[in-house]
Amino acid sequence: MYLSDEHIKLAEDFTKTGYIIRPIADNDGLARIENIFRNAITKQLDGVQIGDLSDWLNKTHHHVPVDHLNDFRLEIINAVNSNSALRSSYFDLARPYLEALVGNELAMQRRVNLSIQYPEDNTALLPVHADTWSGDSPFEVVVWVPLVDCFGTKAMFILPPDANEVLKRDFVNLSRGNSERLFEAIADDLIWIEIKRGEVLVFNQTLPHGNRVNTENQTRWSMNCRFKSVFTPYADKKIGEFFEPITLRPVSKLGLDYELPKI
Amino acid sequence: MGERAPQHVQNIVIRDYCQRNGFKYSLSAAEYAMEGSCHILEQLVSQLDQYDGIVAYSLFQLPEEKNIRLGILGRVLDSQKTMHFAVEGIVVSTFADLENVNMLWQIKKFEHMCPKELV
Repeated sequence: MYLSDEHIKLAEDFTKTGYIIRPIADNDGLARIENIFRNAITKQLDGVQIGDLSDWLNKTHHHVPVDHLNDFRLEIINAVNSNSALRSSYFDLARPYLEALVGNELAMQRRVNLSIQYPEDNTALLPVHADTWSGDSPFEVVVWVPLVDCFGTKAMFILPPDANEVLKRDFVNLSRGNSERLFEAIADDLIWIEIKRGEVLVFNQTLPHGNRVNTENQTRWSMNCRFKSVFTPYADKKIGEFFEPITLRPVSKLGLDYELPKI
Repeated sequence: MGERAPQHVQNIVIRDYCQRNGFKYSLSAAEYAMEGSCHILEQLVSQLDQYDGIVAYSLFQLPEEKNIRLGILGRVLDSQKTMHFAVEGIVVSTFADLENVNMLWQIKKFEHMCPKELV
């Protein structure tokens, strides 16, 4: 393969661990996104004074009651996704890593997702799962961006590739019919991903991952969005309804449009 | 392009889309089942002066033949109307939108050729 040393290193890290964490590639992009969030929160909470955004986000559980959290989260998701700068800014956070790992003709999920996990809240949990188990294409990756520092149970977990191969060989017996038993079977092999605000995580969503009850005393805010090559197979998440091409090259456009002369 | 959810499900999706976007749902129309038919769609487009636009279930129910597809969308735009696709949440209201829709269609048509493995 004719890959640069940097791309080889990225590929090796990603293949070995199932993910990479790198500094975000565009600090201005993160600033734009954080400003979008600041404006959305201020509007939703009627003029609340935020100050340092990270600090406020870490303490969201003091500002929004847990029984209002999901409505609040949905309002914020809708507000930020309606900002035309969000998706391009989000892509720019991970662009060089996506180009190295996935390709330079990319399709991006049409909405960026937002996860807010309060301390001690069990209503925002994602049971252990691989996205491919619910119909995603194995050709997708997830770009996961924290708006706060994440550590311990404030973070997400992932099962590394080696341990995943063991799981796959004996899935029925190890999972014993439910996701909690599956978690118990793999708990000792899980990696809890420590990542700071200002870093970006790109992970292989064919590996089991999820979160547990956040027992830290801070709220986690993180965004996630799927990317894939335009020309790799789609599964249940299809072009148009879920994915949109964002970096289609001119020769591909020419090829897609090409027709032989009619005789 | 194989977009065959049951008709009553398609109607639910279209009605929900209209409700969420504040559209008055005037008329339901079902295309003929014959492969490649766009008789009903053509009829709707010819009657667009009576409506503000058309909401279709999916973008990929448009005609597969590019010139026919673009012709229909072009006539919608020339009538100063819009066409909406409920599943994808995509709106064609400008010629730039039309270009975007065409690109999605072109990619969709090539999907079956994307390699699943290297040989």
